[in-house]
Amino acid sequence: MSDTKTLMRFTGVGGQGVLLAGEIFAAAKIKTGGHGLKTATYTSQVRGGPTVVDIQLDDEEIYYPYANDGEINFMLSVAEMSYKLFKDGVKPGGTIVIDPNLVHPTDEDRKTWNIHEIPIITIAKEEVGNVITQSVVALAIANTMMNAIDKETLIETMLSKVPAKVHDVNKTAYELGEKYAKEAMA
Amino acid sequence: MEMREVISTGNELAALAGVDAGCKFFGGYPLTPSSEIMHVISDLLPKIGGTCIQMEDEIGAICAVIGAGMAGERTMTGTSGPGMSLKAENLGLAQMAEVPLVCVNVMRGGPSTGLPTRVSQGDILQSKNPSHGDYKSITLCAGSLEECYTETVRAFNLADRFMQPVIVLLDETIGHMHGKAMLPTAEEVKKGIVPRKKFDGPAEEYFPYECGPTEPAVLNPMFEGYRYHFTGLHHDKNGFPTEEIETCRKLIQRLEDKVAMHEDELESYEEFMMDDAEIMIVAYGSVSLAAKESIRHLRKEGIKAGLFRPITIWPSPAKKIKEHTDKIEKVLVVELNIGQFHAEVERASSRLDIDGLFKVNGRAISPHEIVSKVKEL
Repeated sequence: MSDTKTLMRFTGVGGQGVLLAGEIFAAAKIKTGGHGLKTATYTSQVRGGPTVVDIQLDDEEIYYPYANDGEINFMLSVAEMSYKLFKDGVKPGGTIVIDPNLVHPTDEDRKTWNIHEIPIITIAKEEVGNVITQSVVALAIANTMMNAIDKETLIETMLSKVPAKVHDVNKTAYELGEKYAKEAMA
Repeated sequence: MEMREVISTGNELAALAGVDAGCKFFGGYPLTPSSEIMHVISDLLPKIGGTCIQMEDEIGAICAVIGAGMAGERTMTGTSGPGMSLKAENLGLAQMAEVPLVCVNVMRGGPSTGLPTRVSQGDILQSKNPSHGDYKSITLCAGSLEECYTETVRAFNLADRFMQPVIVLLDETIGHMHGKAMLPTAEEVKKGIVPRKKFDGPAEEYFPYECGPTEPAVLNPMFEGYRYHFTGLHHDKNGFPTEEIETCRKLIQRLEDKVAMHEDELESYEEFMMDDAEIMIVAYGSVSLAAKESIRHLRKEGIKAGLFRPITIWPSPAKKIKEHTDKIEKVLVVELNIGQFHAEVERASSRLDIDGLFKVNGRAISPHEIVSKVKEL
């Protein structure tokens, strides 16, 4: 409802670590003097159930902690069931990034939204060498496409939330995510 | 007041508040969606010489907390609806024996195991009377990340002031949302701590339950030379069981009156854009956040809506509600249950035409739903 608001939604299944990316975004926005809020919903099926994380970034105070369906600017999805459940929250013409190995949009979907295919899990597993870094790859993709937060601030916030021994691997994950996002947008 | 910025979740802030307010003992049994309270406090308490213990179940947890409270410590537990149901009997014991404690309930879908990971506000009436018998509960409800902290702090001071359990209601949304909170510093909180009253005369003149008709018991900490008895039975000034007619009557009347006669100390609410409101929305907890956003939207369209948000849920701010409902015709109660606080607004207002917007499927009420409902009024 606010003009200055960026709404992002990350969806996956429980256990994939999509929550962390939301926390990093919110914290980085707050660092820059704005307002950031992350709200997750999940099922009682802790591993394997559909998980959705709503991220709201705004210069104004945020009240309602969930993204309003139909107003979301950006969604990233790494699981088919979550994609199907939550895609309709994205406003027509909005951007959706999917992992093409896991999510299969219909032709109708491709007309409604600006869908990019980036093999997030494969990048994390094979190019970064650690599947856990998929949330940072996703973070980089979202930020590159949405131009939401100053890159250095976001990386600094991200590094403050992961153990020192994995700083380098997460930096690599970020750079790769950014590279793939730029290629997808080109 | 000196403030600090903290980025956290509601559950984590409730745990932090406990530690800052001087809680030294947490007895718990982790239960979705409240588990993070115990996760966090189990890390924090040992660092300051406190104790966190995971008991065999929620009943054990509340009993451990009551024991630590009897010993004189500030104590706390955290749970959700099913845990509250199990704790109910012993919350009654704490009411009867006048043991202060703080119980945070992060509401999820019910009844029974319900919807463990989903938001609800179905425990409003339960928090009024969790146990059988007559007593007057004190229940606070956080409507923001800040209040998960400040209301938990307030709960500790009220528990010691009124010598009884104080329930802090969060809901799954507030408990798990992650963002910025501006909080008073731990030093500021420390300055505001009012410890429970203590008797310091000679031990033979000490009668813990001999107090004014509207005053709480004065329970000295254990192991300091003052001897008395704890029981859930009706009891005399020493705490020993009795069936003496007048003593029994006075005891239960006092449990009621120690709160009822001091409601002004408890009353707490927020008015949001109420000055010129022609429509009053009543909402609390996370739903009040949706309400605020809906009001922002309605005002842009020229519809003068405002929010009345009870913070102290029990005893309810009934006088203030009536003041508004006497003047404002269109009143809408929005809550994640089938009208539990709606009934209280009807009672307070002496009106039967209060509108309601209710949801019980474990999903949040969106600002759009409130906007549409307001336009229908």
